[in-house]
Amino acid sequence: MDLTYTTIEGKSKGYRTLVTVLGVLVAVLFTAFLVAYLKGQQVWGISNAIPWGQLITLDIFFIGLSAGAIVVSGLSYVLGRKEYKPIGRMAVFMGLLIFVGAMVSVLVDLGRPEKFWRLFGYFYSNNMTSMFALNSVWYGGYLLLMIVYLFLALENKTKLAMIIGTIDVLWAVGVHSFTGAIFGLIGSREVLTSPLKPFEFITAALTSGTALLILVVLLTFKLSKRYIDKKVIFSLGRLLSVIIIVLGVMIFFDKLTHAYYPAREGVMFLFTGPYWWLFWVLQIGMGILIPLAILFHPKAGKSIKGVVIAASSVVIGVFGERLAITIPGTAQAQPLYPGTIEGVWGATGIFRITPWETALTIGIISLVALLFVLGLKYLELLPKSEPPPEEATAAAAPASETKPDKAA
Amino acid sequence: MAKWGMVIDLGKCTGCQSCSFACKAENDVPHGSPEEQQQRRAPFWHKVFAVSQGEYPTQRINLIPMPCMHCEDAPCVVVCPAKATYHREDGIVIQNFRRCIGCRYCIVACPYGVRNFNFKDQAVEPYHRPDLPPERTDKGIWPYPERVRGVVEKCTFCFHRIDQAIRDGKKVGTDVVPACAEACPAHAISFGDLEDPASEVSQLLASRGSFRLREELNTEPRVYYLD
Repeated sequence: MDLTYTTIEGKSKGYRTLVTVLGVLVAVLFTAFLVAYLKGQQVWGISNAIPWGQLITLDIFFIGLSAGAIVVSGLSYVLGRKEYKPIGRMAVFMGLLIFVGAMVSVLVDLGRPEKFWRLFGYFYSNNMTSMFALNSVWYGGYLLLMIVYLFLALENKTKLAMIIGTIDVLWAVGVHSFTGAIFGLIGSREVLTSPLKPFEFITAALTSGTALLILVVLLTFKLSKRYIDKKVIFSLGRLLSVIIIVLGVMIFFDKLTHAYYPAREGVMFLFTGPYWWLFWVLQIGMGILIPLAILFHPKAGKSIKGVVIAASSVVIGVFGERLAITIPGTAQAQPLYPGTIEGVWGATGIFRITPWETALTIGIISLVALLFVLGLKYLELLPKSEPPPEEATAAAAPASETKPDKAA
Repeated sequence: MAKWGMVIDLGKCTGCQSCSFACKAENDVPHGSPEEQQQRRAPFWHKVFAVSQGEYPTQRINLIPMPCMHCEDAPCVVVCPAKATYHREDGIVIQNFRRCIGCRYCIVACPYGVRNFNFKDQAVEPYHRPDLPPERTDKGIWPYPERVRGVVEKCTFCFHRIDQAIRDGKKVGTDVVPACAEACPAHAISFGDLEDPASEVSQLLASRGSFRLREELNTEPRVYYLD
């Protein structure tokens, strides 16, 4: 191997502060979970009109990020592209941790989290026609595959990593497509129902996953004073712009199909209803138009700053896309009877942002970030810090010293 | 096996909400505060809503009483991951509180919005009904007297009454009906076996034009409305 990986020291003041802050936020997560568990879901913003709130949004957002990161890691481990080698391990690790975060958020979201095992009693205690029950196969397998994949990547078993990586990349596509199917297959909600949803989900996953990877790579490499070839970032940026175009085309035809047919209340509710800004500002504006404008700008697209702004915009935009699915998807009053349904039964659902639900959301994000920061210290994820990779082999001694320490 | 169904005569309904009230008392459904009702957090197993058509001088108001539709092809049964909601042999869609994990997928999938999530521990109210509490041989399903928080609940067509009537050899549909049908002062709600051509519901359906809510979704509800 011409590229050696190492851990970070993790003794600087900044690192300790970061771990402490994230640790406190994780403690808030546990408090918020206990509050919801003891007082009931009344402390959240959900209602019978909008039964899925922030946590399901975070769940599908995280699953998307994870699937995206794993697919990008495939560039290095499956396709064997050398230039992506320095970020390969990190992409796999990120995919694993973010998926753990997704599972935490869906577990916490259950009304009775202690009964989650029912989903894994195949055909006995679960109902395999449900997308949730099917997804227990996809999610469980994905988690195991990612752990094996990360292990093989860390052990430098390139051949095996390629095989497992290929399976995992395909599995990730399946995982997120079936997550999209959870929503797309609901025929009674006009905003949700669409056969394109699984494909839209996986494309949005690729954009957000690539964008977050760009951000995380730049941030960790900068904070740990490492050198990264700018070409890697720009090629990821080009990849990002291509997927955004695919996503844009997909959303355009999906919404066009729904608006073309006379029964267009659902799509009109999304466009002009009280949650219009989730769709137009976040999903279309920040998720598609702004990043495309930056990435194709002759100057901004060729600067690290421009790529960073575009990537941040994509991450926020895709989160907005997830919100535009969960919240308006169920907020639209159902047309039970022709005419105007009076009173609360015909009113648009109102989602309230409540402190405990927000604390859970921030807590789960912090949990993932904390595990990532700790992982950088205890696992060899980052390449060695010297700028030219050739000289790094000369200074391999300290790295090999630390390795037995960790193994012991 | 009988297939239980309900026929609601909209021409007779006066919108007095006795049905909703009787349902709350029978099944001990919590009332919820006005805020909770506004936020759609108070459970309603049965409700009456008003639909207006047209503008003032030519306006028409329809009052629609609405229990669970007990669909033959129920979306909630398809999406429930934990087998918590299922069809009984007599067609009633049942929610088993012991199995429900509280994922709320069924609320998203239900085209009629009849499912309710239990958001908090409900206060234990004294028993209001004149007769004895239902026999709890089927302990897993019946919510009363201990209501479970964090699960989804819905109308059961008062299956405890039906089961008791069959045990006692009484005739369901004439002697024993669900609480909402019993309470209706205008006799707008009829209940009975849809497969028995001699039953009141079959006779009513044969005599007049009827419709079901959101028929275009092909969920085949077992609650019919007479125009």
